[in-house]
Amino acid sequence: MSSYAQLALLLGLGIALGAMPLVLPLLIGPRYKGKDTESTYECGVDPVGSSWLRFGIGFYVFALIFVAFEVDILYLFPIALVYEDFGWRGFVEIALFLSILSLAVVYAWRKGVFHWAK
Amino acid sequence: MPQTLTQLLDGSVLAMPIAAGLIMGMLTVNVLMLVWAERKVSAWIQMRMGPTEVGPFGLLQTLADMLKLISKQLITPSNVDKPLYHLAPLLAFAPVVAAVALFPFSESTILVQNDYGLLFVFAFGGIAVIAIFMAGWGSNNKYALLGAIRSVAQNISYEVPLILSALSVVLVVNAMGPTLSSGDGVVAINGLDLSHIVMTQDQQGIWFVVLQPIAAIIYFISALAETNRAPFDIPEAESELVAGFHTEYSGMRFSLFFFAEYTNMLIVSMLAVVLFFGGWDGPVLPGPAWFFLKSYAVIFVMMWVRWTFPRLRFDQLMTFCWKVLIPLSILNLLATAFVIAVL
Repeated sequence: MSSYAQLALLLGLGIALGAMPLVLPLLIGPRYKGKDTESTYECGVDPVGSSWLRFGIGFYVFALIFVAFEVDILYLFPIALVYEDFGWRGFVEIALFLSILSLAVVYAWRKGVFHWAK
Repeated sequence: MPQTLTQLLDGSVLAMPIAAGLIMGMLTVNVLMLVWAERKVSAWIQMRMGPTEVGPFGLLQTLADMLKLISKQLITPSNVDKPLYHLAPLLAFAPVVAAVALFPFSESTILVQNDYGLLFVFAFGGIAVIAIFMAGWGSNNKYALLGAIRSVAQNISYEVPLILSALSVVLVVNAMGPTLSSGDGVVAINGLDLSHIVMTQDQQGIWFVVLQPIAAIIYFISALAETNRAPFDIPEAESELVAGFHTEYSGMRFSLFFFAEYTNMLIVSMLAVVLFFGGWDGPVLPGPAWFFLKSYAVIFVMMWVRWTFPRLRFDQLMTFCWKVLIPLSILNLLATAFVIAVL
């Protein structure tokens, strides 16, 4: 069995092991029902409206920069493994790559993404 | 290649169930002890007594709490998004079991030997973010949604410096030489293999915290944020958000999140020990003893930080990551690459 199959199996077993303690309370726990028991918590009053609302666009922009960054950083892992073989050429390439990547932060910075509106 | 438990049980279909059982046992004891330790450390720092009643020094307090949680009703609020709500705790729980299996406790004690262990640890860590957002969105609760949004924004932002600091270590490991002598003779070095990272530190006689001090500090700060611990515990800021993304979870479902949270503390500490503190490397005592001693020392520092520093504001948290940590880690990576190219 390859280690990938082992990890997949462990993930599956993890879900099974996590489900087990959820069965026990069904057998021994109390079973109250009713409007108050089953309502979501909102400072003790009845919830007002749905919670699936719009939220700050700032979070969305952070998620976008993150995706750009994270995907690019993953490309650096294979480079790190063979970096030794390329000497100065490797350094120039990694420096070019990182400086283009850093432009994303500079751009977002200049655009005021990191400035939180009061 | 280190001898693994699965090689001992080679061919047996029971290998992985046994491994999962071992991990579960270890993690349960770990969580029970960590919660107790957290309460004792906080009490010590605040000059209180902490738990004293159940068992010697209150050691069994967490066990009593767990028994109480098992006997609680599993309440499912009527207006939640049911598939997301039910799946989220399991999805938070399952990856931590698999991630722990990848760590080399000593040269010959490792449950799953994978050549790309480092990537897998990060990948399993990434699943937690999805689980948190599923929990927050599925709960149909305003506090939960706010907590989840904050948590996701924080976790994804701090993942960048975390991975960049680990990347500098990978560069250093690979630069240490094309080969490495292990138990099976000489093997090609692989910076993504957790055992190789430790063996390199062992054979070079130097811990990477000495070669990469900036990466170590960046890693530690990011790890605090990744595990949602103070001073970065804004997703769960009790005074404003009740309990953040798990507000609507009670009983054993809450325990699964709690279990995952404390196990994540152990995982980031073990990774810190592998990357920067020489893993199982140490005199006299056997490897696993050193490995866990070092891991728990890192966890103690995390607790110390939690009970000493006040909580940050959310904009401070995000700008600190993007304006300080990420530029600093990119510079550190460039400097590392430069030094390696010169040598």
